[in-house]
Amino acid sequence: MAHRGWRTKTIDIVFERGEGGMNGDKHVATDALRRSLDRVCAEAMQAIDEGYSLILLSDRKMDRDHVAIPTLMAVGIVHHHLIRNSARTRLGILVETAEAREVHHHCLLIGYGADAVNPYLAFESLWDLRRRSTFPRSYSDGDLTTNYIGAVGKGILKVMSKMGVSTLQSYKGAQIFEAVGLNSEAVELCFTGTASRIEGIGLASITQEALRRHRIGFPRRHLPAHSMELPNPGHYQWRKHGEVHAIKPESIANLQFAARHNSRETFDRFAQLCDDESRQRCTLRGLFRIRSAEENDRTPVPLDEVEPSRDIVKRFCTGAMSLGALSPEAHETLAIAMNRIGGKSNTGEGGEDERRYQRDANGDLRRSAIKQVASARFGVTINYLTNASQIQIKMAQGAKPGEGGQLPGHKVDPYIASLRHSTPYVTLISPPPHHDIYSIEDLAQLIHDLKNANPEADVSVKLVAEMGVGVVAAGVAKAKADHILISGHDGGTGASPLTSIKHAGGPWELGLAETHQTLVLNDLRSRVRVEVDGGMRTGRDVVIGALLGAEEFGFSTMPLITLGCIMMRKCHLNTCPVGVATQDPVLREKFTGQPEHVINYLFMVAEQVREFMAERGFRKLKEIVGRTDLLDTDQAIEHWKARGLNLEPILMTAEKPHPGVNVTCSMRQEHGLEEALDKDLIETVKSALEDKTQIRLQMPIRNTNRTVGTMLSHEIAKRYGDTGLPPDTIWVRFDGSAGQSFASWLAGGVTFELVGDANDYIAKGLCGGTVIVYPPSASVEAGFVPEDNIVIGNVALYGATSGRTFFRGIAGERFAVRNSGAIAVVEGVGDHGCEYMTNGRVVVLGPTGRNFAAGMSGGVAYVYDPHRTFEMNCNKEMVSIEPVSDSTDVDELRQYVCWHEEYTGSTVARNIRESFEREVRKFCKVIPHEYKRVLAEQKAAQDGVASAPDRQREQSHVPLGQLRS
Amino acid sequence: MGKPTGFMEYTREAAPPRDPVTRVRDWEEIYGSLPPERLQQQGSRCMDCGVPLCHAGAEANGHTYGCPIHNLIPEWNDLVYQDRWREALERLLKTNNFPEFTGRICPAPCEGSCVLAINEPAVTIKKIEQSIIDRGFKEGWIVPRPPLHRTGKSVAVIGSGPAGLAAADQLNTAGHCVTVFERDDRIGGLLMYGTPSMKLDKGIVDRRVDLLRSEGVRFVTNAHVGVNMDIQEIRQDHDAILLACGALNGIDMKIPGRDLKGIHMAMPYLTMAIKRGLGDDVDGPDYVNAKDKHVVVIGAGDTGTDCIGTAIREGCKSLVNFARKPMPPEEREPGNPWPQQPHVYIVDYGHAESQAIFGRDPRQYQVLTKAFVDDGHGHVKAVRTVTVEWEKLGPRKFVNAREVPGSEFDWPADLVLLAVGFHGPEQTLVGELDLETDDLTNVKAEFGAYKTNVEGVYTAGDMRRGASLIVWAIAEGRGAAREIDCYLMGHTELP
Repeated sequence: MAHRGWRTKTIDIVFERGEGGMNGDKHVATDALRRSLDRVCAEAMQAIDEGYSLILLSDRKMDRDHVAIPTLMAVGIVHHHLIRNSARTRLGILVETAEAREVHHHCLLIGYGADAVNPYLAFESLWDLRRRSTFPRSYSDGDLTTNYIGAVGKGILKVMSKMGVSTLQSYKGAQIFEAVGLNSEAVELCFTGTASRIEGIGLASITQEALRRHRIGFPRRHLPAHSMELPNPGHYQWRKHGEVHAIKPESIANLQFAARHNSRETFDRFAQLCDDESRQRCTLRGLFRIRSAEENDRTPVPLDEVEPSRDIVKRFCTGAMSLGALSPEAHETLAIAMNRIGGKSNTGEGGEDERRYQRDANGDLRRSAIKQVASARFGVTINYLTNASQIQIKMAQGAKPGEGGQLPGHKVDPYIASLRHSTPYVTLISPPPHHDIYSIEDLAQLIHDLKNANPEADVSVKLVAEMGVGVVAAGVAKAKADHILISGHDGGTGASPLTSIKHAGGPWELGLAETHQTLVLNDLRSRVRVEVDGGMRTGRDVVIGALLGAEEFGFSTMPLITLGCIMMRKCHLNTCPVGVATQDPVLREKFTGQPEHVINYLFMVAEQVREFMAERGFRKLKEIVGRTDLLDTDQAIEHWKARGLNLEPILMTAEKPHPGVNVTCSMRQEHGLEEALDKDLIETVKSALEDKTQIRLQMPIRNTNRTVGTMLSHEIAKRYGDTGLPPDTIWVRFDGSAGQSFASWLAGGVTFELVGDANDYIAKGLCGGTVIVYPPSASVEAGFVPEDNIVIGNVALYGATSGRTFFRGIAGERFAVRNSGAIAVVEGVGDHGCEYMTNGRVVVLGPTGRNFAAGMSGGVAYVYDPHRTFEMNCNKEMVSIEPVSDSTDVDELRQYVCWHEEYTGSTVARNIRESFEREVRKFCKVIPHEYKRVLAEQKAAQDGVASAPDRQREQSHVPLGQLRS
Repeated sequence: MGKPTGFMEYTREAAPPRDPVTRVRDWEEIYGSLPPERLQQQGSRCMDCGVPLCHAGAEANGHTYGCPIHNLIPEWNDLVYQDRWREALERLLKTNNFPEFTGRICPAPCEGSCVLAINEPAVTIKKIEQSIIDRGFKEGWIVPRPPLHRTGKSVAVIGSGPAGLAAADQLNTAGHCVTVFERDDRIGGLLMYGTPSMKLDKGIVDRRVDLLRSEGVRFVTNAHVGVNMDIQEIRQDHDAILLACGALNGIDMKIPGRDLKGIHMAMPYLTMAIKRGLGDDVDGPDYVNAKDKHVVVIGAGDTGTDCIGTAIREGCKSLVNFARKPMPPEEREPGNPWPQQPHVYIVDYGHAESQAIFGRDPRQYQVLTKAFVDDGHGHVKAVRTVTVEWEKLGPRKFVNAREVPGSEFDWPADLVLLAVGFHGPEQTLVGELDLETDDLTNVKAEFGAYKTNVEGVYTAGDMRRGASLIVWAIAEGRGAAREIDCYLMGHTELP
């Protein structure tokens, strides 16, 4: 390449196969690779001296006698060599490689310093497919190249966004990767500074692998093969001669048989298969050996002295799989099974049907014990939280860290939509981050809020097993979580994006060990319970989880298999042929799972755990938590690629800062709920709670009063469920500055009138209540202009599902993010207003910040825009901006403006109302494309009858004014 | 999987059989073909499973499930759906030397373990396989591909059934000089003389043999090693030997009247009928023909069915078929769940033909043969049976047979065919080579290694495994070829 006068020097990244490569003399071949790496570095330095601006690392010289150096090593070593010699900025690194094809490959090359990549073989393969008519004739080679580049570009952006990186410049050379199973020599040489905690293979093994691949391309004897078709390596679908998978056909067959017939014999075969697979390279735990009783100077105990299975299964949970991902049948069967045995099932992030909170006639309970609170807050109402034994904040998912979820429109049937407070058949996006968590303090606040929402439930925080999770877990324990879940990368891959299945997350063994060690070191372990999940299959897995520091264990895929799942990996297509992961009514009919299947399986796992304990002389599971000294690796590592591993960091016994440190949960967190304002409030409104008597009261408030109204709402939900109290049963006027999370999850029938201002998270999760905020009239008379000033903080109405709010003044950033049903009127908002909103109405009577309506898929926002400046602040990727002309819209808007004036005395509202016919033309209507389409379809289907679900909900709100009169 | 909803839109459509009434008048193949667009629809029913059990080919709990040669079923199903037949053919030939045989006569464990078969009729895998290869021949895509160079090593393959032929094909591909020895007058083993031509047309066997010959494989017929050829000589002349002689030691019935005339083992009977169909002059003192006879077939396996189909075509007067065990259930039993091969009541071609000609299914269950009755001239005139009751332990697991008193019955019979299974391999070569055998008299060699106790002598197929499926024979032949190649060269490139 000679661009702008820059000259490029080509450096061949190949090494001589030589005799070593032919005959498998490892040392000779490894030396050849090492020498070539040195040569490549030397040639790069020389290029600078010769006045080149760019080098091209090319493997095109690969042939029978020349083996390609793994491209990533070549890029990494040159990049670091140049850095060490203070020369990196003098040379651009271009790469020409046959190796790079997937998004992850490109990410790695860029992450280790490549400036440009030419994946020539990927291009040529596409062109070849075109010639073989795999693609329509209308595509040209150029189209294919452009599309491939476009796709890879999007993929890289997606990966960057998962890591919270916005620009390629920041990503390039940033090395935000963790190596698993690479020794420090190789890391130091090529990937300097990359974390690699357990050592592993080095140059010799890498050379061997390169030679293996080379030999496939250049075999010793050429066969007149019937085809040059490459084999399917079985990366994403099991193939007999492909990559080893944790679950193979025999495992599925045996597990289903064992669970359905409660056959311990078949279960043992299943467990044997899993444990063998584990050993043969799938997992780190496969490399451990559990020491015998003799080695630990213990004597085995009789099996009947070990704690019974029925106690052990209480430590078992099923994973967070939402209704939406799973069919109602599968979801409810899991819940019934776990409730029967005293374990816990998990809602996932999709809300839960209120009807499941009542026992069935046969005594079964379909309620999920764990209620998940994820970034999208789908269906997170006060009633939902009240009906929890544990509330789980999902910070990330083990199988796809950094990613939110996406429920494709075709899976969002009316039932799912009603639970999620969204519109049927509109795709639902779970944003990657929680918009109310940007720091550990924010997380502490959310934990506090949820504790208020249900003081009896434990609050759990789900973390991903990645480098540094120990420190995060310590922070979470200090933020007063009661429970921490460490989630490994193995599980939950049915509908994960392909890049995440293979390349994201870490093994739970590492994350769990790090977490346990850090918590013990800081004497925080005793305050929290620790759970681990991510590919738990057998009793052995559970025992190793316990030894590494967990006291509870999550299972997801295996229980689903017992219910009929056959690992189609088509969960996202709504075509699950066994009715497990589909909403299609015809396919759901095919579901044959029974709670007994799950129960049988979990009891057999527990029995195995008991046998392990008996053989090793332990009676209680609690006794083995954190006992890494019972694990051994020496004899277990047999695979040639596993020889270099050093598992010591995992096996290190957690260091106690003082002898009194407990290594399992032994105390409760101090949540400080006794000091909450709600304690007085609940006492005062007792009559309203019990008899629905209307009550009016007034109280002062200060910003140390956090989460006011949430515990009260919990008491209401306990009695009246989602319905709440009749409108305006409880009306409280507060004077002062409200603390954080004011009126969070405020229940129906409660109106909070705040004369003053409020901090962040006001009306978060609002579900039926009414919140009014306006400045004291004295301030306004003294010249305070509400519409020019911020009266409420950031993240108001996050995840609100219903209710109304009126704010006289401007809101901070992220206003009404993920609103799914509330009505909000405000006189101006900061950046990111209405982001990811799925339903409800937002009226902004003033200016907005940037990125308004990003990712908004439902609901409507009306923005008063007299100066025509709104459009540039609106993210129009998913929404269109229209005038407010339809008579229904005009009437609706007029109503909201009138209410706003009535409740807050807003002069902005009064001015608009007074000249409404003229002013309405200055409003913009923001409506998502998909939502609009679906509304139109519904309208057409119902033949003009205006009864779209969202409108019905709105109409159920009787205007306050009418009630008062 | 180009079409995620194919399985919801289309129902299973298998190859239409010809009308039983007319087809019994000839010896042509029974099953027709489907037009390409309908095959494409059938291909779209494949769900491209994350864990395709059809392709697994494993044995668990004593059951085979999925394809033992690991055919890349989801891949070629999809290629057929996409109308990319030639690529489908290449995918198919990656794992299967002879899809034209398996596509016709394999009992298709793949379909039993098809994920769709959990609650819907399975994907029409076998028919799609056959259609791909038939089209390949028709389009001229199948051409001889002789090896690129010869290694100078020679291998003798004894037996030309599917195991021997698969091994010969693979070893020849690897560059070795392969000679196949066959004791019969035609190449093909059970493919030729063990399978009636209405199931597998003999022209199809010849076509494959011709192709192998044109690629350099040598065939020697009428070479009954151990009888008219010396195995030691063959050993001296070759660098390695593969024994693939099958398990043809048919089980006889040592009961009163066995010496009467008119009682024959099934396999020689079938062979004779096939030879007659091929135009050979088989009339002579051993002439056996079912024409105008009351025929009793003892044994209700596939061989029994073949006897039924053959006897009907020869024009038998009546037909009855005995099974000792009870009638299989209509649907899978709980102890026989997916993905195991379903053990259910099936109406095979011969049964359907009997139904069409004689108005009833020929099978009689729980029948134990006690004796053959003399007509006074040394010829059988009836078969004496008794009804038995069994204690059932599980699917296909029956013990403690108990004869029902007073249930004796004489079935009129002019011709009795014994199709009650095989003991194992014939023992001639076992003795000559001093081969170790297992408890079932099969030649001892580990699955995957195929090496006998004698240096340079390998064994594969029924001879090692006992009578089994054609796909297992091909799987073992391929595996043995790989091991022999490795033995000869120190390394192998064979799949």
